Amino acid sequence: MTEIALLVQGLLDGSIYALIAVGLTLVYGLLRVLHVAHAGLFTLGGYVGVVVTNETGSLVLALAAAMALAGLVGMAIYRLVYQPILHYPPYVALIASIGLFIAMQEGFRFYDEQGVSYVTAPLQGTVAFAGQRLQVAKIVTFFGAIALLAGLGFLAARTRTGVAWRATVTQPRMAASFGIDIIRVRYLNFFIGSALAAAAGVMVSLTTNLVEPTSGDVWSYKALAIIVLGGLGSMRGTLIACFALGVIESFGTTSVLGEIMNRDAIAFAFLILVLMVRPQGLFARA
Amino acid sequence: MSAILSVRDLTVRFGGVTAVDGVGFAVEAGTLLGLIGPNGAGKTTVMRAITGIVSPGEGTVELAGRRITGLPTHARVRLGLGLSQQLVRPFRGMTLIENVAFAAGHALTRGALGAFAAVGRSKQRARARELLELVGIAGRAEERPDAVPLGVLKRMEVARALALDPKVLLLDEPLAGLNSGEAATLADTVVALNARGLTIVLIEHNLSEVMRICGRLVVLDNGRVIGEGAPREVMADRRVRAAYLGAEVGDAAA
Amino acid sequence: MEALLGQYDVSLVRTAAIAVIMALSLNMITGFCGQISLGHAAFMGVGAYASVVLNIEGLGFVLATLAGMAIAGLFGLIVGLTSLRVRHDFLAITTMGVAFLFRGIVEQMPALKETDGFSGYPLPDYGIYGYMGVTLAAAALVLALSVYIRRSWMGFTFGSIADDEDTARIVGIDVARFKLAAFVLGTGLAGLAGSLYAHQTTIIQAENFGFIESITVLSMVVVGGVGSIVGVVVAAIVLSLLPLWFQFIGDYKLLFYGGLLFLMMRFAPDGLAGLIERALRALRERNAPRASAGAGQ
Repeated sequence: MTEIALLVQGLLDGSIYALIAVGLTLVYGLLRVLHVAHAGLFTLGGYVGVVVTNETGSLVLALAAAMALAGLVGMAIYRLVYQPILHYPPYVALIASIGLFIAMQEGFRFYDEQGVSYVTAPLQGTVAFAGQRLQVAKIVTFFGAIALLAGLGFLAARTRTGVAWRATVTQPRMAASFGIDIIRVRYLNFFIGSALAAAAGVMVSLTTNLVEPTSGDVWSYKALAIIVLGGLGSMRGTLIACFALGVIESFGTTSVLGEIMNRDAIAFAFLILVLMVRPQGLFARA
Repeated sequence: MSAILSVRDLTVRFGGVTAVDGVGFAVEAGTLLGLIGPNGAGKTTVMRAITGIVSPGEGTVELAGRRITGLPTHARVRLGLGLSQQLVRPFRGMTLIENVAFAAGHALTRGALGAFAAVGRSKQRARARELLELVGIAGRAEERPDAVPLGVLKRMEVARALALDPKVLLLDEPLAGLNSGEAATLADTVVALNARGLTIVLIEHNLSEVMRICGRLVVLDNGRVIGEGAPREVMADRRVRAAYLGAEVGDAAA
Repeated sequence: MEALLGQYDVSLVRTAAIAVIMALSLNMITGFCGQISLGHAAFMGVGAYASVVLNIEGLGFVLATLAGMAIAGLFGLIVGLTSLRVRHDFLAITTMGVAFLFRGIVEQMPALKETDGFSGYPLPDYGIYGYMGVTLAAAALVLALSVYIRRSWMGFTFGSIADDEDTARIVGIDVARFKLAAFVLGTGLAGLAGSLYAHQTTIIQAENFGFIESITVLSMVVVGGVGSIVGVVVAAIVLSLLPLWFQFIGDYKLLFYGGLLFLMMRFAPDGLAGLIERALRALRERNAPRASAGAGQ
């Protein structure tokens, strides 16, 4: 593979990480909780996307359904899981989240252990670029992710809701005294983050054409690693870290390292290395 | 004639702000020294540079003739620095006597192997009880930190610092948050400790108590030393008065 | 002996004993010393692989086990060093990374990666009951060690670090040294469990020492009550055997673990030990009513 092709591949993967990591960063920024169960929403998105597409033939409808459903589930998770235990030491929420994630995975396993696939997968086919064939699905994903993230950015910068949200993340007490409803902002966070994760799930399902109970695993563990890398709570740092990781994995697996470590090990080795050099993450806020 | 604790050319910067600028003073053994100054003068930062919680950009700190700048906090404690902090931090999972007994066992907690080999706690508990009596709270020995008032916790911290057998005791605002009765009692305890030969450095806002008990004062303002010497002289110095009256008058007598 | 314990029962005992060792060793790191570790199973894996490889090289079971423990402890030291620079959430992620690193490396290395796993190592010839005795003895030793540590000044110091690291420094504790000691101890013992596990079966696979397995061990510690010895032992025995006793739980093992973890954290974060403690306190207060010290939660 040429360098450019590797770079492009890395950026494409990075866009998926970005969709997942945004939700994680949102939750961490607000609640200081590592939302491991987020992975389940990725998988949920994949399942819904496939099932609805198979039923209705419309990918767009499936995407919308997946995002909406995941958003609602995400809000429910906040209300039922996190809100009651926020006052305990942080490891409690972390472990509860891990437990929930494992339970969710099993839930998917009961629905369909083999996983679900598209009857006729949309957006198949490849395109030639820089001497390499790139999957159409991945390209669509990349631009879709950029669009969603840009939309989110616009929301945050221009709308009243967005401003209220940013205020709450940076200065929760002050935001409250300005009359901003913190709880509503939290629900909004979970809705948006979960919807984006589901979108990622749908998009990945297009490239793999199989959604299994464990589909969300590795993406999400890595996404957790990413938000740490980016400097927990820093959106910019997270996004940069996402694309950086995608590219590093791309080059790493085809390098000498790839002989002794698989892709995931490379990712985590990179993470641990960065943390040793900069324990607060790459772009930590003060 | 030799100072047991000396600070020279101490400078601490945070980002673009110089919190402490070329501060220097020496503490003779057996003194009860008050480090005072208006809010934001840099007193706590100086204290933190002495204890090692903060690293100075320039300057040195010496304890009993030995350079301690650059050493981690625990090493400085083992060399003879005892301290109690402005915001009390007891070990919340231990009772008051356990807090002090733990510190009293400092000889056993140097290293992991030594700690592994040591089992009995009765000697340390006995010492802890002595110290709790010394600061007047032996009656509450078996209680937990969240069940006792602030005044008691502050005194426990003093006892805990004493359990380390320090050469110099640093107290950061030990009287803050106490009513005048409690403050006077704790101040008297500090005097009694000093009378037994312990060198004590005190940061305090409570000027009336400081005037009453300290043998010597060092005054900081805006990160610099603006006065040093016997309390009466120092407080009569015009620069010192200007520094305080320029700040809030209400600060002077808490 | 056969009348009392059939072969199946022996395997249950071994499983429980190994789980107890894993849980107690993690308890030293997370419970006693307050350092969260989401990758503990990786050290079991290190002990397992190291000991079988060395056994093949001719060291024999006992020496290979000891060497495996030392190697696991060495890796624990390295991870411990990383723990010094990061706290809490960062530490959780770093230790999680360790779990993935282990699998990722072992599954990739040609020397260790065979089709189904790693096999071909000699098994000790103690006989079924002999080996069971060995694992039980090991578990008992680890239990005794845990109890001893807690009563010693090492345990006292670990507790201070778990309670308030910065304050521990102020009373002269070299926090780094003690954290490392906790990691080395805990991971070395996990290595012991690994070797015992490996030598009771003929093949080991890297996937048995991954993130989910680490979470399983963590759940034993958490359900038992972080830091409590009795609670952790009981939880380890129950949680490791429940799926084997009741087949339907076995099929839903992960759901059970996941749900249990979640429910415990949601409703009883201080574990079984905490529940029992609170129940006992409530009973005591009912029997001897007087104004409590106001430490109400």
